Amino acid sequence: MIVSTLITGLALGSMYGLMALGFHITYAVSKTVNFSQGSSMMFGAVMGYTFMVTLGWPFWIGIPAALACCAVLGLVVERLLVRPFAARGSDAWLMATVAGGIVLDNVVLFTFGKEPRSLPSPFTESAVEFLGTGAYPLQLIIPVVGLAIALGLTLVTTRTKLGKAMLASVQRPEAARLTGVNTQTVIAASFAISAVFAGVAGLLIAPLFNVSSGMGLIFGIKAFAAAILGGISSAWGVMIAGILYGCIEALTTAYIGSSYTQIVSFSVVILVLVTVPNGLFGRAELKKV
Amino acid sequence: MTTFSFQSLTRRAFAGTALALMTALATPLAAQETVKIGLIASLSGPSSKSGEAITRGMMLAIEEINADGGLLGMPVELIRRDDEGNPGKGLTAARELVQREGVAVLFGGLQTPVSLALVPYMNQSQKPFMGPWAAGTPITKNGAEENYIFRVSAVDEMVDIALVERAMSVHGAKNPGMMLINNPWGESNEKGLTAALEAAGLPTAGIERVEANDIDVVPQLTRLKEAGADAIFMVANVGPSAQVMKSLERMGWDVPVVSHWGPAGGRFSELAGPRAKDVEMIQTFTFSGNDSPMAAETLEALKAMFPEIKGPADVTPAVGIANAYDAMHLTALAIKNAGSLDGPAIRQGYYDIETHEGLIKTYENPFTPDDQDALGPEDYVFTRFIDGEIIPIE
Amino acid sequence: MSDAATPAFRLRLTKALLHPLTSVVAILALTGLAILFALGANGYIVFILALFAMNVVVGVGLNILLGLSGQISFGHVGFFAIGAYTVAIMVLAGFDYWLAFLAAGVVNAVAGVLLAVPALRVAGPYLAMMTIAFAFIVEHAAIELRHLTGGHNGLMGFRAPEFAGRMFFEKEVAIAALILAAIACLLFLRLSRGRWGAAMRAVADSEVAAQSVGLNPIAIKTVAFVLSAVLTGLAGALFTPLQMFISPGSFPFFQSILFLLAVIVGGTGRLFGPVVGSLIVVLLPEVLSGMAEYRLLIFGGIMMGVLLLAPKGIVGGLMQLISAEDPTPAKPSGKDPLAFLAPKAGVERPELKVRDLGINFGGVQAAKDVSFTAPPGKVTSVIGPNGAGKTTVLNMISGFYTPDSGAIELHEDLAGRPAYRMARAGVARTYQTTQLFENLSVRENILIALGTGRLGWLLGGTPGAGAIATADDLLAFVGYKGPVGRRAGDLPHVDKRLVEIARALATQPSLLLLDEPAAGLMHSDKEALSALILKIAEAGVAVVLVEHDMSLLMSISDEIIVLDAGVPIKTGSPAEVQQDPDVRRAYLGDSAYQGRARPEIREFGHAKEVLSTRGLTAGYGAAAALSDVEVDVEPGEMVAVLGANGAGKSTMMRALSGLHRPVEGAILLDLKHIEDMPASKIAHAGLSLVPEGRQVFPQMSVRDNILMGAYTRDDLNAEAEIEALLTRFPRLRDRIDMPAGVLSGGEQQMLAIARGLIANPRILLLDEPSLGLAPAIIAELYDVLADLRDEGVTVLLVDQMATLALAVADRAYVLENGRVVKAGSSAELRKDASIEEAYLGGGVAAE
Repeated sequence: MIVSTLITGLALGSMYGLMALGFHITYAVSKTVNFSQGSSMMFGAVMGYTFMVTLGWPFWIGIPAALACCAVLGLVVERLLVRPFAARGSDAWLMATVAGGIVLDNVVLFTFGKEPRSLPSPFTESAVEFLGTGAYPLQLIIPVVGLAIALGLTLVTTRTKLGKAMLASVQRPEAARLTGVNTQTVIAASFAISAVFAGVAGLLIAPLFNVSSGMGLIFGIKAFAAAILGGISSAWGVMIAGILYGCIEALTTAYIGSSYTQIVSFSVVILVLVTVPNGLFGRAELKKV
Repeated sequence: MTTFSFQSLTRRAFAGTALALMTALATPLAAQETVKIGLIASLSGPSSKSGEAITRGMMLAIEEINADGGLLGMPVELIRRDDEGNPGKGLTAARELVQREGVAVLFGGLQTPVSLALVPYMNQSQKPFMGPWAAGTPITKNGAEENYIFRVSAVDEMVDIALVERAMSVHGAKNPGMMLINNPWGESNEKGLTAALEAAGLPTAGIERVEANDIDVVPQLTRLKEAGADAIFMVANVGPSAQVMKSLERMGWDVPVVSHWGPAGGRFSELAGPRAKDVEMIQTFTFSGNDSPMAAETLEALKAMFPEIKGPADVTPAVGIANAYDAMHLTALAIKNAGSLDGPAIRQGYYDIETHEGLIKTYENPFTPDDQDALGPEDYVFTRFIDGEIIPIE
Repeated sequence: MSDAATPAFRLRLTKALLHPLTSVVAILALTGLAILFALGANGYIVFILALFAMNVVVGVGLNILLGLSGQISFGHVGFFAIGAYTVAIMVLAGFDYWLAFLAAGVVNAVAGVLLAVPALRVAGPYLAMMTIAFAFIVEHAAIELRHLTGGHNGLMGFRAPEFAGRMFFEKEVAIAALILAAIACLLFLRLSRGRWGAAMRAVADSEVAAQSVGLNPIAIKTVAFVLSAVLTGLAGALFTPLQMFISPGSFPFFQSILFLLAVIVGGTGRLFGPVVGSLIVVLLPEVLSGMAEYRLLIFGGIMMGVLLLAPKGIVGGLMQLISAEDPTPAKPSGKDPLAFLAPKAGVERPELKVRDLGINFGGVQAAKDVSFTAPPGKVTSVIGPNGAGKTTVLNMISGFYTPDSGAIELHEDLAGRPAYRMARAGVARTYQTTQLFENLSVRENILIALGTGRLGWLLGGTPGAGAIATADDLLAFVGYKGPVGRRAGDLPHVDKRLVEIARALATQPSLLLLDEPAAGLMHSDKEALSALILKIAEAGVAVVLVEHDMSLLMSISDEIIVLDAGVPIKTGSPAEVQQDPDVRRAYLGDSAYQGRARPEIREFGHAKEVLSTRGLTAGYGAAAALSDVEVDVEPGEMVAVLGANGAGKSTMMRALSGLHRPVEGAILLDLKHIEDMPASKIAHAGLSLVPEGRQVFPQMSVRDNILMGAYTRDDLNAEAEIEALLTRFPRLRDRIDMPAGVLSGGEQQMLAIARGLIANPRILLLDEPSLGLAPAIIAELYDVLADLRDEGVTVLLVDQMATLALAVADRAYVLENGRVVKAGSSAELRKDASIEEAYLGGGVAAE
């Protein structure tokens, strides 16, 4: 039982981690986050369903197309719901992105339909035997994809010009501008990447669960919990915290009972914040007087 | 003195205007010349397909009634509200329909928690409430002296007896386990199943719970498997039921699943994958494999009324349609018997129904003050989901 | 209405609308009307009215939290549920409803404290998460504590409450809810106009400043949180008898967002904001009942629209449209504020004794062995080059940093106390960048400081005439002549400085710390400031001054402590300090190293300028930091910009590189206008700034730092060019793969220059390259600069070390108060004694 529990924990957790990474990226670059990250996840899954099932496109067009939609969504959110507020130093972007999420969820509800659908995947057609327990190949693939993306992000930020520009904007925004980096573009790009990560999570989780307009809300909140748990300023911190959060959930479900899952996992978040106010891997920001 | 009277005058004018405004809000614009029937159900969210089925059943019946000249000389009008599956919302909507819209009878409560929340209010305001879906036992057996709650649907404690009976006789179960949704419907069936098992002299391998958002139920099922369960009673809505079947598939555990009718509410075949067809599910009615002429006629009438319906596969869940259709006709009879739209009179009108030839069966004295449920165990059929269609077994 | 009458009319209207009596009358009238209506109406509309009233109560609670103390909560549905369940459980257990109602308030107060204590340690997204987690835990606890809460099935079958023999059904509950809403609004009115409300708004504006007037932000935020929780809980307590049924499903997380929506849409911080917001949230769905399923879509749209179009909400937006500012200036009572500042009879003014103070940040010793005394009635100044640790010392004395060692005595040792207790012990201060409570009026800024943290009763009223008179006296004393009702954030720069000093004085301090009070002031303002500081000292206050304007400082200081790299190097009178060789070296550069001049004199003045400015003017707030600057740099030239701290050198570099925008006048790079370009575009155009403080990317390797410099280039030959730079900066070779953050200051400076050079710029700008470096490193650095010059790189150099800069540069400009006061060849300027005066102050004011 422990094996299957951990498989589930890792699969869920790496998706929380992936979405938390999305929170991390925008926060690191601009000290703002898209509170409707859950809606971006839902959007990825819904667009994936629309392209691949409704329109019957092959996956190698459908998946990139769905993720491209997420990227555009991220750009729109940044331009419409974050930049106007961040520019005047207001933190109303928080409520504005919440509102944006509500609008998107409901627009999808009335266009995509009210019933949950199932997104078929070649990796959930039949179960395989793994360490003495049955699992869909997708469940085993998800953590690998999650970690690969996190690794990819690390590689991109440390090896490519654009990635380095992003890192530079995080560490010393002014110096980055002085070397010719347009930090506003970097911020917009970070929102696009953030939404794409959520979209990937949505496309990966949908075949295990289902696709519906409301699927993102709880996921988004839990991913945010993971981001906070890890300390939103640390990339690997939020990834690890995501996996940890997923495993805590799975273990609670398996050994205490699923009715206690949310109580236990959210209590862990509060307790961690009480002991380490900046999260497990976060750094305190030096207060300037 | 003049100043004073002037002030009080403006104040009164103010109050009057405000009063008028709010009263305008409170009362509908058109004068009441219809018999209003309310419906509160999930019109959005994962259970909305069931809400849609109930709506269709009621609309079909209402069309027939109106074609027959309506009730008390007035046409019947359906007013729907969405409860979002939330008891608080349902209760607020009930108040609105009863107090503001003045409905004669309120239909509703897809989910047991919503229905339970409405029960005390409906009894207190002496308006009949008709349940076409939620099966929780305490909904009709609510202990009120003057019980205004009627139902044309399955009843958990009787369903549970039927489930146990099926597991024993068909699958030879000696140690069945339970997979129940973690909500009042699950609780209601935990009681019912435990009692039914006790009566049958069987132990239970375990009682496990599933949450609406669970992605993986393998741990719970593993515990049942390790406890030696030889059959599983499943009580959950479409989503979680699908997760149970997917988890069973992953485990490669080929155990009989005898289910309450939860999976009937949506695209179960699509969501649950290849194991969907293994579920044996209780129903009160199916169009498929039903050779009664009334069923065929009703299906044709539905096709005519809703062009999107092409065949039996498009009328899932048929129980919703059938229960609501019969319940609406029974309600019409009750109102005719009452001769007025007065709540207590209509309640008496329900008791006064003698015979009614309905879609599910021919009702004989369907309601008495001791038993306000029109359907019983003899009306249940076991079915399977085959390619999105609910087909009776055998 | 004639044009001339409009402002006056609007002012009268504003005054009338904002008068507390207007609000009281409006609250009572609306409540009375609503109750009358409830008595006459029946059924569903009464139920909706009750829901509306409960929403108002919750909204007022949230408004205290969000509108006054500036904190957000996504968890208020949790408090609402706790209130509802407390009542339900107690009533079912046989307790009287009204007892249960009070208990709901108490339970929520406790829950509020329990959540506030951990939640208030964190801020921003962390606080949001904490409250989200709270809401979910409450919802799921309600499901799982079945024996108490009935689980999913919820609780029902309560006896209706009874009061004075009357049973409480819908109508009575609605009336009770309306009365509670009225009480909540009156409470908010009273609170927001009293000292506590002002304190909450002060904390929301600036926690730092709040602490320095003696306010304890944690305590104040906790009170706001608890009040908010109690109101929300009481609303929940009325929800139970209204619904007669509660279950976990009645309190979904989403409800928290609807609560917030009501406050934000109505108008955060406005008395009637929650009322208008609740009207929309509760009544709109009723009006649009046919479109019930689009409810959330409509709400989401409304919220987005209001946030974007009317950020202050409906009420706030309307008030903004009609309101006008009261132009009344301070009305001094004629009493001498010196008497207010003088010590109370029989109390001796303490002397500040700082002994062996030290602190280090992550291994960097920012201050060490700092000892001095500041006697009452005297002006004691702390000076030193940039980065010498002056502000760090002030931060320790005022309690913002906890020193690692040493004592801070003012009557008793205060070292290590938090800032608000320092303030209460008699330490007042001002800040380099002013920290006013921007959303409070000028007068409120002073009034809130008058009590030095003593706020009195929670609902204590508005400040009395005496306090207002004192506040106005202080404002007049510091020379503030503007309207006292003006929002402090809208003040011009000089007035912000003055009001901040007045606020510090309002705490009746024994010790006043002034951190660069003259920065950004004009000459005449500075003279007035000098006089003011002397008057404050005269009142018996010990004044500690950190200031870059040497002529001001030298003219008013009694004693000067000179810090260099965190260590005091000299203490003495202004004259002594000015003559001290160590001080001169710290300021002007090491005389042992002379810098290498260009081997042969080159003639300039023929080529087209690489960079030139015409009428360049830039500023912060009202004061111009640069005015009419005209500078030219030719190809191959090395030009220095000299001037004291605060003369505008850094502003000039920021303006040229595009970091400071907007600017007036023209900046030409290769004869193309760049004054409207952002920094990144200017970098692409070929201007490279090596910024003050190096600004290397600490977590990136040295190699990546250098490569970042080549971001604008497509023709980079990375290997060869990095190799060439490593030959120029051999110290970087061994560290090429290390993260730049671990490099020493000197190495970081080399790296920053390498990063600037690899861009192959048309011109390289260097801002204070020698700042904080050891002499040996400075010598090495300047040798490199001389090499670059000889190789023909065009350089514009700013350095505090005037001697050094003049040694290597071909020409120089001298800035003073943002203007070019001298320009000439380095050779001429080296002989000019007035340069030294500009740095150290001539003993007499230079002008």
